[in-house]
Amino acid sequence: MTDFEKIRGSIANRFGSSADIPKEIFSDEAVYQHELEQFFYGAYWHPLAHRAELAELGSFKTTWLAEVPILITRTKDDDIKAFVNSCSHRGALLEQRACGVAEEFECPYHRWLFDNKGSFCGAPGQREFRSDFKREDYGLASLRVAEHAGLIFVTRDPLAPTLKTFLGDAAPSLSDCMLDDGKLELIGYQKVIYQANWKAYIDNDPYHAPLLHTAFKLLDWQGSKGELINADPYGHMCINYQVKHYKDNGFLNDPSSVEFHGTDDRARVVALRPVTGITKHLDTINVRFARPLGVNQTEVHYTFFGHQSDTSEYREHRIRQSSNLLGPSGYISIEDAAIYNRVQATTRDGGLAHFVKGVGKPREEWTQNDEASNTVWWEHYRDVMGFSSLEGE
Amino acid sequence: MNEYIENCYKIDDLLATYGYVLDKKEFDGWVGLFAEEAAYHVFSMDNVERGLPLAYMMDDNKERILDKVKVIEDVWAGTVEPYRTRHTIQRNMVMDLGSGLYEVHSNFVIAYTEASGVAGIIAMGHYEDMVQITGSSAVFVSKTAFIDNTPPRYLVYPL
Repeated sequence: MTDFEKIRGSIANRFGSSADIPKEIFSDEAVYQHELEQFFYGAYWHPLAHRAELAELGSFKTTWLAEVPILITRTKDDDIKAFVNSCSHRGALLEQRACGVAEEFECPYHRWLFDNKGSFCGAPGQREFRSDFKREDYGLASLRVAEHAGLIFVTRDPLAPTLKTFLGDAAPSLSDCMLDDGKLELIGYQKVIYQANWKAYIDNDPYHAPLLHTAFKLLDWQGSKGELINADPYGHMCINYQVKHYKDNGFLNDPSSVEFHGTDDRARVVALRPVTGITKHLDTINVRFARPLGVNQTEVHYTFFGHQSDTSEYREHRIRQSSNLLGPSGYISIEDAAIYNRVQATTRDGGLAHFVKGVGKPREEWTQNDEASNTVWWEHYRDVMGFSSLEGE
Repeated sequence: MNEYIENCYKIDDLLATYGYVLDKKEFDGWVGLFAEEAAYHVFSMDNVERGLPLAYMMDDNKERILDKVKVIEDVWAGTVEPYRTRHTIQRNMVMDLGSGLYEVHSNFVIAYTEASGVAGIIAMGHYEDMVQITGSSAVFVSKTAFIDNTPPRYLVYPL
């Protein structure tokens, strides 16, 4: 019996509904290991890069899919490829730079060489290689790749459904965030490590927004009424609303960085399961590439974009707003960050976390500020993890 | 004592006071170390080395510097988890640009301690500052922090 099997039944007994979450799932090591297999290495699509980060042919980006190092390349034929960033020989990390341009990748250990399509190109001393060596067996381990509006998704599971199926009803909101054509320009990264389990990090509910974020009230900045979309079966959650212009009430000495200068007033919040947040707020476009660093930590790369058609003046405004509004030191999101940590702090007390607001209402009556929508994901999570069948079943 | 050495003393005093007031959370005192027209930025070295313009903090005028204090004291208080900081700052380079203006580079290591007692390094990196010296006063015309590490928590206070 694995460590997970030992604990599954006792968690299932406490996990009576998708609105009552046993807190130990945020801090149990065996649960975390099982989640890696199910959600991160299983039949899910993970956005790990945007084409804007691979601006020219031959570009590459290295990143991580949970604990697996990943190399994403853009070939001279403009194909996007994804590989495990590990030499097929002894497993040394193949490329250590975060990004760059390279047609080939050479492992420093024994000088094995691979092209950016993942093929084995050659290695010293091949005449003495073992008799069953075939070069086609020694390409880089590849992952399936699919794109949506320039966002590059990967999966390790050959049986995963198509990306279109995976995104479901979340696809239009995601396109909105990517300004439809996905022709974005990279502005930069804000990186941070939160002391919280990956699920606590992504489980922000829509109920909290006007309550936690004092800035909204002080700045007279309440959001307009929006549309809530829950994409089955994974529980991706989208909130579509319209940018509400900030009215200067004198609170800030210089409100220019929170003003809306654009013409595209679509505002969006998208939570893609398992762990990616994507937002279009005011003039910012933000993909939060995230990965668990063990059961208690989540690393987030808040990645900000503009659009290739931006005027230089608008680009400057986007840079200024992106640098101040969201991210690990931003006006608004810092409060979310505080909550991730504060939720994590109590995960070993044997209690339950509850979803209450809107729960029990028919789904078509859920509103933007209900938290019932989070339970769609939790229902899915509960099923996938085997927590919906009781011990002995 | 020649003027250069005298001004280096004033610069060292400014750098020391900078860490001192931040560690005591005397944010009005922090604002008082900037000139009437001034800018404060925090960038990651990763972005800088890739030519990417995004900052962690971009207070590009004195009003924004004042707003940072307002947000810390009036917006975030009670929600964020406070932490103690200890700045260690070492001056590395002073360049006399004339008319009392100096470019100053220094390294910093900022330790932090959570309410729980857990401690670590929240940021390490270097500052590139423009310092204006007039008579006995030295103030920052601009202060830019470049951080080397990925912060182990969100950043509430200026670095």
